[in-house]
Amino acid sequence: MGTKNTNYLKMKKLLLSQLKQGIRAEILKVDCGKNFTGRLCDLGLFEGTNVTIVKNDHFGPLILKILNSKIALGRGEAAKIYAKEI
Amino acid sequence: MPKKFKIKVVLVGNPNTGKSTLFNALTGVRQHVGNWPGKTVEKKEGILEYKGRTIKIIDLPGTYSLTAYTEEEAITARFINGTKPNVVVQIIDAQNLERNLFMTVQLIESGAPLILAINMLDLTQKENIQIDTKKLSILLGIPVVPISAKQKKGIENLMQTIVGYFENPPTSFLKLKYGTKIESETKKRYDLVKNLSKEVLSSPTLQGDNTSDKIDKILLNKFLGIPIFLVITWLMFQATFKLSKPLINWIETLFALLAKESFLILDKIGALKWTQSLIVDGIIGGVGGVLVFIPIIGTLFLLIALLEDSGYMARIAYLMDNFMQKLGLHGKAFIPLIIGFGCNVPGIMATRTLATKRDRLLTILINPFISCGARLPVYALFAGAFFSSYQGLIVFSMYLLGIFIAILAGLIFKKILLKTTSSPFVIELPPYRYPALQGILLHAWGKIWLFIKKAGTIILAFSIIIWLMSSLPVGVDYGSNKSLAGKMGEIASPIFEPLGFGNWESSVALLFGLAGKEIIVSTFGTLYGVNIENTQSVSQALKDNFTPLSAYAFMVFVSLYVPCLPTIAIIKRELNSWKWAIFVIFYTTAVAWIMAFIVYQGGSLLGFN
Repeated sequence: MGTKNTNYLKMKKLLLSQLKQGIRAEILKVDCGKNFTGRLCDLGLFEGTNVTIVKNDHFGPLILKILNSKIALGRGEAAKIYAKEI
Repeated sequence: MPKKFKIKVVLVGNPNTGKSTLFNALTGVRQHVGNWPGKTVEKKEGILEYKGRTIKIIDLPGTYSLTAYTEEEAITARFINGTKPNVVVQIIDAQNLERNLFMTVQLIESGAPLILAINMLDLTQKENIQIDTKKLSILLGIPVVPISAKQKKGIENLMQTIVGYFENPPTSFLKLKYGTKIESETKKRYDLVKNLSKEVLSSPTLQGDNTSDKIDKILLNKFLGIPIFLVITWLMFQATFKLSKPLINWIETLFALLAKESFLILDKIGALKWTQSLIVDGIIGGVGGVLVFIPIIGTLFLLIALLEDSGYMARIAYLMDNFMQKLGLHGKAFIPLIIGFGCNVPGIMATRTLATKRDRLLTILINPFISCGARLPVYALFAGAFFSSYQGLIVFSMYLLGIFIAILAGLIFKKILLKTTSSPFVIELPPYRYPALQGILLHAWGKIWLFIKKAGTIILAFSIIIWLMSSLPVGVDYGSNKSLAGKMGEIASPIFEPLGFGNWESSVALLFGLAGKEIIVSTFGTLYGVNIENTQSVSQALKDNFTPLSAYAFMVFVSLYVPCLPTIAIIKRELNSWKWAIFVIFYTTAVAWIMAFIVYQGGSLLGFN
């Protein structure tokens, strides 16, 4: 991929599910419904926090590092969370 | 005189913080596991004597916050606010200080009489994480005690702090006030937590992978993860059989000896013929036939507890999520299925961790097909009698059949009954750790004890009933088709004729098996009587009544029909619906009949017998 493309992606809001393994990202928006959004808050994932994508195989759940713990998050849910690479 | 409880202490904390380990360290075997009245959430209580004081300790379910996402969290919040315990101890995982403190802040806001116990200081010293507990105590205005639940360090200090807190409660609390909007509240709490941990926590910047990350690279590998999981499961079942075999032989010999000795003693003291028969055929044959399988069930529960305690269970949920999504469920719903291999009752209770009613229903409906430990004695008995050289393979095929049917049922239910989508999947993958041996042994012992109690009560009662029914009316040959049991069996047997086991003994065994599948074994034991010369008599009698093909069809039927009445009762309780409980009785039996029919008739057509 060309640098132009990468730059474009970096600026744009991305879905968490699209982010590559090893990337650190800032959460921009969580669109998971009131209950589940609350649950993610309890785990330390909400707007403005930073997470690391520990594992993303592009199928099955993602593994994130939130604060100091590893959390597996369903792909469907990760596709409702907007983030940007940092 | 009933003892007055002087101090009531509750333990709270995030999951995987070592809360259960601390509870076990504090109370040892003096604990009681029950249920919250009218709720389906487990309640663990224990009693502890400390310097002349009686302290009652209540272990609340592990929760991430006081906001009620699951029923368990609702209970915790309500308990702390409603029951007003004297002291609340929150266990904190030192490696996860920030997230744990989030709940601390909530607890302080709710006005709970709080003490923090920071766990795993042993671990953090290794990993070079330093927490200034004194400073944290000053900043929060509450006592903070460093402990290691596993190495039982700091427990004395914690007890002193609890008693001290009870006798001289601190007067000044940190007053925390925030805005009213939920989201901003979360943010403010986390901001506070961040500042706190900046003050008290010094850890080297985490670089690279820690041990758990390295293990996960292999165990959760894109290609290797699931094969490794299958190998682990296979090894688990191999180990269950291999480890328990010598013990089983030992218990078998013991019971054969017991039967022989009782027979001789009863003969010597001139006991009546019928008492002799009741004790030897009825009780020793029935109860003994089931107790023989304690080693298998004990080992299986031990291994399942090992999976849970080591941190691998959560990984299984991760690995199986993709597959479970196809059944309309998510990875977490796989855990009740694994536990179901031990026993369907705790398996069904484990569905409580699922957030929606729909997920729970679907998981509960397929759980009965998972072969529980009580079915194993039946498989072992029949496979041993008919397929001794392929015993392992035959038993394994029963497990596969159960899994296959569970998957099929899941797909069908998803299509016709429950079209809505699965609830969101999220699970914490805790760091791998060496399992706490005490906890695992306590857990397995609890299950074994339950089984022994069952053998001493329900199975004993059924053995006597079966013996009576095989002996009455007076004058009839014991265990013959003229007896009550025989007549009853003959009425039911035409239903099973097309499945290859139209003998009346099978019908009686299947009927009594409704109380628990291990009772099928004890029924055969009672009906055929234990032979005092050798222990092989039940197998021999089976060989006279079954062909290998009909034996296999019988195993298939036993594997799939109504799990047992306790399971039906728990389904009723968990779903709060008789409709579903009765539905399970009928649909599992129908599936069992059809599958056994296919096996027997298909096998006959192919020329097996």
